[in-house]
Amino acid sequence: MTLPILPTTMVGSYSMPGWLERLKTDYFARRISRHDLDEIHDAAVRSAIKDQEMAGLDIVTDGELRRDNMIDYFIERLPGIQIDRSSKKFYYDFYDSEVLGKIPMAAIGLTDDFRFLLANTEREAKICITGPHSLCKRVRNKHYPTEEALATDIARVMNMELKELVKAGAKLIQIDEPYYSGFPEDITWGVKVLNMLVEGVHAKIALHICYGNRYGKPSWEGSYRYLFPAILSANVQQLSLEFARRGGEDLDLFREFSPPFELGAGVIDVKDHAVETPDIVAERIRKTMQFVPPEKIIVLPDCGLFHLPRDIAFAKLRAMVEGARTVRKELGR
Amino acid sequence: MILHLNHTKRDSAAAATSEVVSTFLSLLEEKQITPAEFAHLQIFLDWLQYKQNFREPVMVMNAAGEGGGSSGMEVRIDSRQVRPGALRELVQKAIRPADPEQRNETGRIYLEDFQSFRSSIVWDFNRLYWQRLKDWEHVTGKGYQQALPGGISDGQQPQAIADSVGDFWTLLKDLENQNKLPQEVFVLEIGVGLATRAGLWLDRFCALNQERGTNYYPRLRFLLGDYSLSTLERSRPAVKKHMELCSFIALDALDPIKTLSFLRHKILHVHSTNMYDNLPDEEIVWRDNRVYWVQIRAYVPAAEAARIGTACDVAVADIAKTVNRLLEVGAEALPDRAKGMTFWMEIWKAIRMEERLVDAVDLPDASFPAGLSSAHMEDILKDAPGDLRFHLSSGALESFRNTLPLLHPRGYLQVQDIFVTDLHEYCMGFYGPGKLDGSIVNWVNGALLREVAERAGYDLHFAPFQHRAGSKTSVLYTTRRE
Repeated sequence: MTLPILPTTMVGSYSMPGWLERLKTDYFARRISRHDLDEIHDAAVRSAIKDQEMAGLDIVTDGELRRDNMIDYFIERLPGIQIDRSSKKFYYDFYDSEVLGKIPMAAIGLTDDFRFLLANTEREAKICITGPHSLCKRVRNKHYPTEEALATDIARVMNMELKELVKAGAKLIQIDEPYYSGFPEDITWGVKVLNMLVEGVHAKIALHICYGNRYGKPSWEGSYRYLFPAILSANVQQLSLEFARRGGEDLDLFREFSPPFELGAGVIDVKDHAVETPDIVAERIRKTMQFVPPEKIIVLPDCGLFHLPRDIAFAKLRAMVEGARTVRKELGR
Repeated sequence: MILHLNHTKRDSAAAATSEVVSTFLSLLEEKQITPAEFAHLQIFLDWLQYKQNFREPVMVMNAAGEGGGSSGMEVRIDSRQVRPGALRELVQKAIRPADPEQRNETGRIYLEDFQSFRSSIVWDFNRLYWQRLKDWEHVTGKGYQQALPGGISDGQQPQAIADSVGDFWTLLKDLENQNKLPQEVFVLEIGVGLATRAGLWLDRFCALNQERGTNYYPRLRFLLGDYSLSTLERSRPAVKKHMELCSFIALDALDPIKTLSFLRHKILHVHSTNMYDNLPDEEIVWRDNRVYWVQIRAYVPAAEAARIGTACDVAVADIAKTVNRLLEVGAEALPDRAKGMTFWMEIWKAIRMEERLVDAVDLPDASFPAGLSSAHMEDILKDAPGDLRFHLSSGALESFRNTLPLLHPRGYLQVQDIFVTDLHEYCMGFYGPGKLDGSIVNWVNGALLREVAERAGYDLHFAPFQHRAGSKTSVLYTTRRE
C-alpha cells in the first residue's frame, strides 16, 4: 500500500478500557484463566484496530492492549530476569525485578502479536518495542558492571527478536526510549546501544522519545536539545517527538542540526482530555512544515493513548486525521 | 437486635450500652416494638465529638426504595448528648411515629426534600458563611479562626512553615543541580484565609534564600487561590512585602485546573490547610455486600422554629421561604438587618438532618466521584467490616483529582487537614459532619484519597502534625509513583 503524504499513525497504545483493566486484575487474582484472558485480549486488540481504521489512520498498531505497561511485557519475556510476582497491587504497576546473571540469548515471542495484527488489518502495520535503555532503568542490576553493559545484553537479545519480526513481515518497527529524557546524561551510550539493537534489522526503524506518559502525566521536563548531536549517529529513519503539549520550540533543532530522519511530529496532546479541533491539528502540522519538508513528516499523537477514555481517544484520532487531510489538500496532494 | 459500638470512650460506652439494652428489652416487653422489629433492629452507639452538629440525641433511620434490602429499623444514639436516664423517653419519641410524613405534624419544619448530603441546603449555608464572613464576625466579635476547635489554625505554626520552606528549597536546589530549575517557580495556595500562612511562608522563603545565597526568590510566582473575592481582598495585607511575586486568583477549589489550565504540569508546590474538610461531602453505607447512599433532609425542630420566628418577626409558616431568601441575599432577607443576622445564626444552630438509606440500585444516576468506579470500590471494600458507614469525601476527591494535573513532574501537593487514614477507623469514632460557627466540618477519607492517588500516579503519605500537642491534623503529601 502506498502511503499518502503526511501519513497518520498512533505512537503505540490505544485507550485501555475499564473493563479490560478489571479483567486483567481478575487474571492476577486467579479469577479467570490465561486462556480466557488471551481471548479477551484478542477481542480488545481487534476492536482497537477497527477504531484506528474507522478513524482513518494510515498505519495501525495493535494498541498494545495485551501489555500491562511498557516495561513489564518485555521484562517478563527476557530470560534471566527475576521478577517478584507479588510486587504489583494493580496490573499497571511495575514489577520489582532484578538481574542476577548474564542474560542468555532466547526468543522473546513478540512475533505472534505482530502476526495477529497483520491478520486483522489491510493497512500498513507498525509494532512498537520498548528500547534497552528504558528497560534497564526498571531492572535492579546485580550482575553487570554498568547499566550500559546490561542494556547492551538486552539489545543483543532483542536484536534477534527484531529480525524475527522482519521475517514475520514487519516493515516498520518503532523503538520507544522515553527514559532518554529522564537521563539525558546517558544519551551517548544510549544511542550506541540502540544501534546494536537495530543492527542488521531490515525494516524502517522509528525512534520515539517523549517526556514520559506514566499515569497520563509527564515524568520529566526539559528540552530535546540534549539529544543533539548524539542522536545524529542513530541508525534510525524516523524520530518521533512530542510537540503538542510542550509547544513547538524544539522544532528549531531540526533547522539547526538538519537531522537525516523523518519526523514523527506529535500534534495531539495525550495528557489533556480536551479534544483538539482539526484546525488546531492542521496548524500544528503547518508549523512543523516550517522546519521539516512535508515529505518527511509523519503525523501522530505525542505519545500513547493508553490513559484516555475511548471516546476521547477516538475523537482525537479523528481530529488528527482530518487535520492532516486539510493540509494535504492545501499541498494539492 | 444488633448493637454496634462506634466509639472507644470507655466510661460513656459502658453506661450507654447497659441502658440501651434495658431500654429496648423493656420496650419489647411492653409491646412498644414488635418481636419482628426487635429481631431486625440495628442500634449504633456513637459519640459525636462536635458539640454543634446536625443530629438529634436519638435518630431513627429506615431504608427507602424498592431495593431496600436493609429491612428493619436503624437507631443511632449519640452517647454524648443523651443524659443518663433520658434514653427511654428519647427512644420512644424517635421510634413513634417512624413514618417521616407523620413527623411533619409532630414538630419538624422541613427545608428540603431527601437528597444526597452533597446537594443539601446546609452547604448553601456553608457558602453563605464564607461569602459573608465579615457579617458573621462582626456580630460574634471574633474571627473565624477563633471558632476552630483549637482556636488557631495549625497551618500557621512557624516551625512547621520553616520545615515546609526548607523542603521546598531542597527541591529547588536539586533541580538546579540537575540544570532543570524552571525559569519561573510556581507555588499555589488554595483556600487562603487571611493569608497569614502565605505571608509567613514567603517571609521564611525570602530569608532562607538570602541565608543560603541562592537566587530562587525572584523566580517565585506565588498564587493565592480562593473562591471568595472578598477573602482574596482581605488576604492582601498579609503578603504586602512580597506583592510583586503574588497573584490573587478566584478559583473553585473543586476544580483548580479549570482556572489554571495554562499552568498544567508547571506548579512545583500546591498547599492547602483545612480546606478539604469544608468541601461538600456525602456518605455511603456498605452492608451485606451492598452499597447504600445516605440521603438527608434538613429541618428545623418546630419548637425552635417558633422561638426563632418570634425573635425575628417571621411567621413559622414562612420560615422555609425566608431561609431560601437568606441564602440568596444574606441578612438583608429581613427588613431589619440585625434580625436578619439573628435569623441566620439561630436557624444554623437549630438545623438538624433526617436520614434515610437508599440502595444504590435505586439510584442509577448516583455515581462515585471521578477516580472511583464501582468496581474499584468493590476492591477497596472487600476486606472492610460487614457494616460500614463512611464518608466518600467527594468534594475533597474532586479537588484532589483536579489539582494533580497542575503538578510539575517533580512537584508535590501538601494538605494539612483532619484525615481518616484507615476505613476501619469509621467503626471507632465519629468524623462529622459537625458545625463550626456558620460552616461545616467533615473529616476527610484519606484511605479513599490514597486509592485514587495510586491510580493517578501518586503515593500518599500522612504525617501527624507534630508542632502542637493535641492537634488532630495531619499533613498529607504526595510522592510520584514510578
